[in-house]
Amino acid sequence: MWLASEIGDRKMEYDELGKLSPFHLDVIRETVNIGAGNAATALSQLLGSVVTMDVPKAELVSIYELTDRYASPTELVCAVYLRFEGEISGNMLWIMSEETAQELVNILIKKDLGDMLQDQIDQIADSLLVEVGNIVLSSFLNAISAMINCALPVTVPAIAHDMLGAILDLLAAYYGMTGEVAIISETKLCVASNKNSLGGHVMLLPDPQSLSTLLSKLGVL
Amino acid sequence: MTSVYHVGMGDIVVAKHPVVLTSLGLGSCIGLVIYDDIAKVAGMSHIMLPNNHEGKDVKKLGKYADTAVPKLIEDLIALGALKSRLKAKMAGGAQMFSVPGKNSASFLAIGERNIETTKKMLEQYGIPLVASDVGGNKGRSVEFYTDNWIMIVKVIGSEVKKL
Repeated sequence: MWLASEIGDRKMEYDELGKLSPFHLDVIRETVNIGAGNAATALSQLLGSVVTMDVPKAELVSIYELTDRYASPTELVCAVYLRFEGEISGNMLWIMSEETAQELVNILIKKDLGDMLQDQIDQIADSLLVEVGNIVLSSFLNAISAMINCALPVTVPAIAHDMLGAILDLLAAYYGMTGEVAIISETKLCVASNKNSLGGHVMLLPDPQSLSTLLSKLGVL
Repeated sequence: MTSVYHVGMGDIVVAKHPVVLTSLGLGSCIGLVIYDDIAKVAGMSHIMLPNNHEGKDVKKLGKYADTAVPKLIEDLIALGALKSRLKAKMAGGAQMFSVPGKNSASFLAIGERNIETTKKMLEQYGIPLVASDVGGNKGRSVEFYTDNWIMIVKVIGSEVKKL
């Protein structure tokens, strides 16, 4: 394990992602904790129900094992993606099961859409999920932005309903461009509704090139 | 008995008939099959990225299109295939998300570059691409059968395609 003092002001090269120390991963995990806490509050206010979160994780994963790590790569999921670009850049993903997505839509759309075409219902559901995703992911980033005192402008979010493997492929390819490990920092949000407990995984995926800036802004590099 | 091999990210698997080669949940990645139906051998590569620009040492040659194609051909020839009889089929290279107006998010279009480079490499090695199902914005799972040299492509919410 490296101590921050040993590293001094040496800039971390992006191909050194795999050399992140447990200490640095702890700091990133704490950052996820703060971001996700804010995201959970926002989701809770939106849904009017209690939202809890799991203990966050920050780990280095081989890009070759990424897609088999969480569930079957063929499992159908709904994912909302957005990218942030400021002094620090990266990607954010909110991945939930298709049932969770459907449940959220049911909670938020009180009106009966029974007489509409399925296509139109799907479009409304998607734009709703994109908006909820935007709120969740932006709240996450806002907390981090305030903590490190640096603006993190985001792109318009995008949504996909597809196989988990196909979604995580993107990350494997992305981190694969600079090395063979990906940094996965994430936590699970749980919405305590009447029947089920729903939520989803919120992932913060900093660009490898941004890690040194992030860690130095957090005061550990 | 037919064996089933799962070809993971960046992997290359070659085998003799009878065999089923599969790759699950391909997003921007490519499932490339090259086969010789006379020698009855086939191989699948699960390609992640177009080029190994830096010429870096990679643990898995199957990671990049430009290193996967020659390695796959080499492995097939070692297993008894004749280069002049080789044919290829491929699927994948989707763009799962699109974000408007950001150049720096161009990595989202990595699938397109994977397709281009794989095609270029096949052309360079003189291997005819006899069937393909590429691009779009949906993930795919592929299964290749040496019984009939057909690639089955599955997309959620669509009918199964046979290549």
